[in-house]
Amino acid sequence: MIQFHAVSLAYQQDATALQNISCRVTKGEFVFLTGPSGAGKTTMLRLIYGALTPTRGQVLIDGQNISRYRRSQLPLLRRSIGVVFQDFKLLQNRTVFENVAITLEVLGWDRGDIGRRVMHILRQMGMESKIHLIPQRLSGGEQQRVALARALVNSPKILLADEPTGNLDDANKQQIMNIFKEANVKGTTVVVATHDRRLIEHAHYRTIRLLGGELAGHEGVGDAVIP
Amino acid sequence: MRSSRNVVKRPTMSHQGASGRLRYFFGRAMTNIRQNLFVNAVTVGTITLALLIVALFMLLVVNLENAAESWSERVQVTVYFDRDLASQEQADLQRRIQTLPGTAKVTWVSRDEAFRRFKMRLKGQDTLLEGVRPDILPTSFEIALKRNNRSSEAVEAYVSRLKTLPGIGEIQYGEEWVRRFNTFLTFMRLVGALVGGFLLVPVIFIVSNTIRLTIYARRDELEVMSLVGATRLFIKMPFLIEGLLQGVAGGLLSLLLLVLFYQLFLHNAGNFLTFNPASSGLAFLPVEFMVALVLAGALLGFLGSLTSLRRFMADN
Ligand SMILES: Nc1ncnc2c1ncn2[C@@H]1O[C@H](COP(=O)(O)OP(=O)(O)OP(=O)(O)O)[C@@H](O)[C@H]1O
Ligand SMILES: [Mg+2]
Repeated sequence: MIQFHAVSLAYQQDATALQNISCRVTKGEFVFLTGPSGAGKTTMLRLIYGALTPTRGQVLIDGQNISRYRRSQLPLLRRSIGVVFQDFKLLQNRTVFENVAITLEVLGWDRGDIGRRVMHILRQMGMESKIHLIPQRLSGGEQQRVALARALVNSPKILLADEPTGNLDDANKQQIMNIFKEANVKGTTVVVATHDRRLIEHAHYRTIRLLGGELAGHEGVGDAVIP
Repeated sequence: MRSSRNVVKRPTMSHQGASGRLRYFFGRAMTNIRQNLFVNAVTVGTITLALLIVALFMLLVVNLENAAESWSERVQVTVYFDRDLASQEQADLQRRIQTLPGTAKVTWVSRDEAFRRFKMRLKGQDTLLEGVRPDILPTSFEIALKRNNRSSEAVEAYVSRLKTLPGIGEIQYGEEWVRRFNTFLTFMRLVGALVGGFLLVPVIFIVSNTIRLTIYARRDELEVMSLVGATRLFIKMPFLIEGLLQGVAGGLLSLLLLVLFYQLFLHNAGNFLTFNPASSGLAFLPVEFMVALVLAGALLGFLGSLTSLRRFMADN
């Protein structure tokens, strides 16, 4: 599903964020991406949803080299990938409902269908009583769930979550993890970037470890990790 | 993928379709305008002013053209003879002129008629003509030209053909000033086009910058839209519509101001231009010009918006 072939990425000439990364995430897998702050986790996710193109090497999604994509193909890729951003990227002047609906609006869905689908996902997240609020009026955990709802509302093939349990208490963490697992059971490939050791230890999934932009090892259950 | 359940069947937009999407874009554009009312007003004002200046030029040129036309209604060629013609000769010549392409009507002006006209001219001072014999003035033909032969080139060509006929002496027509006036008209058209051209660039620049402000105010939204898979066209569309609306508003407003201006100052002025009591005053722009003005506004707005989107999309 997701393959990195000797990928290097430098934001600037001499500042390499990722160095010769090769790894693979198979269809339907649940993978943790871990490593200390600045290790390159967010950078790796950005490469997957095409916000960055590798300086060297290739990123393949579904066997397709995405840096070869024409500009018009990128939107199609992104429609099949749901992303929960580290900083959420919720629109502050829009309600919870509108924040989630935007994913479907850009697909040209019809209003009625958007309404039904958005309400369905927000109910799953336990957010149906807050649909009319703007993000500022929500707690961190609630914002997290809105961001998650926006990522999942279109039932993506791949879900990328960047530090999704950042400032959450255990109960909220558990709830978020359950939503990930549920999506994974339904067939979504899930990649969660986190440096939360407890989260990783509690769930028994394969872990890709980064250190200073380099692959530092894999742990846990996993099929062939290096192609 | 383990199950196919997560493959969403995208609902078709059958009962809304393209119009539903267009309504969405328009809604977004209207929201943008409402949230940046002042900036939008400034843009519309700029477009209005620029178009108004161009429109005033168009009004001027249109009226000058009208005047030129009404003058050329009177373009008339007078032919004198190189000697006294026998009546048979004269009838032959009249027939030949009549068959010349471009001739509408040939009138014979006798000595008496010429003298009578001369006396009319000197009305009140007839005493001057006492003792002057009526046969002092020469006879002539007055030739009226067909409508499409009244341009100065056509008249020149006609006259040179006329000259080849036997018995023709002096030929009089308003050649010099007709040519000068046409040159002047061409000059005015050129000035109008130049002024329009010079205004074009700053206006597009201003529109482009206001749209850039609205884009800037919405950059988070645009980023999110792009991240969840919006196509570039989808992101651009509301802004293109915004520019288009600004342009059309500017066009209509400039037209309105022009009408006001015309009603207040112009339509009673300028009788001197036409000498035609039937069409007193200056004419207003023909409908095609009005439509063109609004279209030009729309184009300005669209181009302004397009250039700023170019810049923005290139940075992102
Ligand atoms: N936009 C950017 N421009 C330049 N350098 C960047 C940019 N984003 C990240 N970097 C650098 O790339 C390296 C990897 O950053 P990245 O955000 O991928 O780390 P991370 O593992 O996600 O860290 P964290 O756990 O703190 O989120 C860092 O050294 C960072 O300074
Ligand atoms: Mg990060």
